[in-house]
Amino acid sequence: MSGMNRRQFSLAICLVLAMLAVSGCVGARMGVSWPAVGLITANGEQNIALAYNNDVAILSPVNGAPLRLISPVTGQAMLDNENNPRSWILHGSDNEGAQFYSLPIVIDAETMIVAANSGVLLLVDSVLLEVKQSIPLPDKIVASMLVADGVLYVPYQNGGLSALSLEDFREIWRFPTEEGVWATPLLVGDMIIVPSIDHNLYALDRGSGHRLWSVDLGGSVASTPLLANDRLYVGSFNKSFFEISLDGRILNRYETQNWVWGTPAIDENGIIYVADLSGFVHALDSERNLAEIWSNQIAERGIRAGPLAYMERVIVASRDGKVYWLDKRDGVPINVREVDGLPELLGDMLLLLPSDSLKIDQPLLIVTSVHDSRLLIAFEVDGRQNWVYPR
Amino acid sequence: MWDLILNPFVTILAWLYAALNQDIVLAIVVLTVIIRFLTYPLLAKQQESSRKMQQIQPQLKKLQEKYKNDKEKLSQAQMKLYRENKVNPVGGCFPMVIQFPILIGLYQAIFFALAATPFQLVDLSERLLIPGLDSLIPLQRMWTPIPQLASILPELDLTLAPTENPHYSLLLPLLVLVTTWAQQKLTMMTTKQKTDKDDDDEDDKPRGGQAQMMQSMTTIMPIMFGFFSMTFSVGLSIYFVTSNLIGIVQYSPQGRNVLDKLFRKKQTDDAPVEIIFEEDEPVKKTRKRRKKKPRKK
Repeated sequence: MSGMNRRQFSLAICLVLAMLAVSGCVGARMGVSWPAVGLITANGEQNIALAYNNDVAILSPVNGAPLRLISPVTGQAMLDNENNPRSWILHGSDNEGAQFYSLPIVIDAETMIVAANSGVLLLVDSVLLEVKQSIPLPDKIVASMLVADGVLYVPYQNGGLSALSLEDFREIWRFPTEEGVWATPLLVGDMIIVPSIDHNLYALDRGSGHRLWSVDLGGSVASTPLLANDRLYVGSFNKSFFEISLDGRILNRYETQNWVWGTPAIDENGIIYVADLSGFVHALDSERNLAEIWSNQIAERGIRAGPLAYMERVIVASRDGKVYWLDKRDGVPINVREVDGLPELLGDMLLLLPSDSLKIDQPLLIVTSVHDSRLLIAFEVDGRQNWVYPR
Repeated sequence: MWDLILNPFVTILAWLYAALNQDIVLAIVVLTVIIRFLTYPLLAKQQESSRKMQQIQPQLKKLQEKYKNDKEKLSQAQMKLYRENKVNPVGGCFPMVIQFPILIGLYQAIFFALAATPFQLVDLSERLLIPGLDSLIPLQRMWTPIPQLASILPELDLTLAPTENPHYSLLLPLLVLVTTWAQQKLTMMTTKQKTDKDDDDEDDKPRGGQAQMMQSMTTIMPIMFGFFSMTFSVGLSIYFVTSNLIGIVQYSPQGRNVLDKLFRKKQTDDAPVEIIFEEDEPVKKTRKRRKKKPRKK
């Protein structure tokens, strides 16, 4: 092989490797979903529950620190093998590599149910943080479950919804859908409303699981509808937002700029705030057939999570790594805060109002990112950062 | 920058899906065929460039021997040789540099289009460039090879690996392995034929490192791609198999003839221009090298 040939060959190999490396970097993400965050109530106390990838954690709203495990016998902090205090973090690595994107559900003072993405329900002793039982399910789970009147409603990633008895986890009924259910169902009286990636919004009878009605929204439905004024408000991937009657009729439709994924917010004046994946926020009048009040592009990238309406502000978090406080009247940003490193803010937000059970004396906005070093960021209402988890 | 390649591919794939009766497997096959044929002129240019390089190898070797102690003169003589023979020493790389992002873009477009998780779908939301395609999401990910035999051949989930699909899907990695091997073998045979045709007697010896490397590639690549297919989604295996089959057509003599007629000017079998060297002046004049007569048996 001549010198030039060898050089050419080496150059070609280097180019191939460089291309492979670059292409590997831009590959689709290997993760499944973003963090799920919500409030969890146990023993009269409210805390923050977080489920993401390998961990489920219970955190204090005061400072974002994981709760400490307290021995029921001694009343002292429980210690691990290295004599460090044990924190309330359920590790998937201790449970066959389980991954979590669904919030835990409290059954009683000592028991919680945690759904693993692999399709297993873990019955957890929440005092000792030990898995007592594993219950296999027919499919994976990516959305949070719903519990009501002793029945657990489990949405499946690849399609369908099951109703399980909380006593023995026996399946009471199962309703199949053509594609997945990626949002928590909504209870409306005796109906359970199920959004599905198969483009339909289903209304089922709670007791039997029979379909009462379904409506095709022309695109995937991936968010829990908002119930207000006896109407359902939900968006779809068909770049549309809908007002639907409780008997399944589309009353009004509003065209958005891109897919709508988050649950909308409504304020005391009946104004609905909808965000889409082009970074637009739309204010619509629910009393005037979804008439547009304003529609502004707020963020450079999409807004996945639903907006929050608080006092005179609408708050949105975007994939561009920024949190925006908008003036409700005209949608103009009043305040913008960048999260360090500009991680994608994909998970739902949480607004905590001061209360004795939460032990906070000022409102806190909890924003969820997909960056491991700052999964949750707590902001005060004026936009100042209060705490970050993990710190 | 990758989005400039990826997004059009994802959009075309979604459009083909709509046009082809919402059959995602057919859409993958058709898009792969279109892209492989559109990039054929680049492949042909690459092959032509390496053919020319092979032809001037004996002269390059002579130059290296002659000017082994004078790098400057060697460089001048080499440049002259390239110029006279209209050879670009890195000409074979540029088509490859262009082809690679296109083929990787296609591979990634399939990965994105078969979105099956919230993360993948949220990424897809920024990639569809034609309005109206959003209503097709999610692109069908369940597929039955022969609908009439649905009871024997249950549906495949194109987003899952063969190990998570019905057992018969394990044939796909095997198919990927066999077609990759066949394509590699044909590539090697094509290169060897050209080398044999162009070489002088003295150059009949195997070309050490390069030959060994190609031999190893023929063994390693099929195993590597077979392994990838075991772990990647079934949808990507369909892409690998289609792409390999097209490669086999492109490298087979019959396929090359047809494609050359379609895409390429007729190849000239002109012997390379030879350079005459004198002691002090490295490059004085040139003469056409006499074409060697074929040996009688």
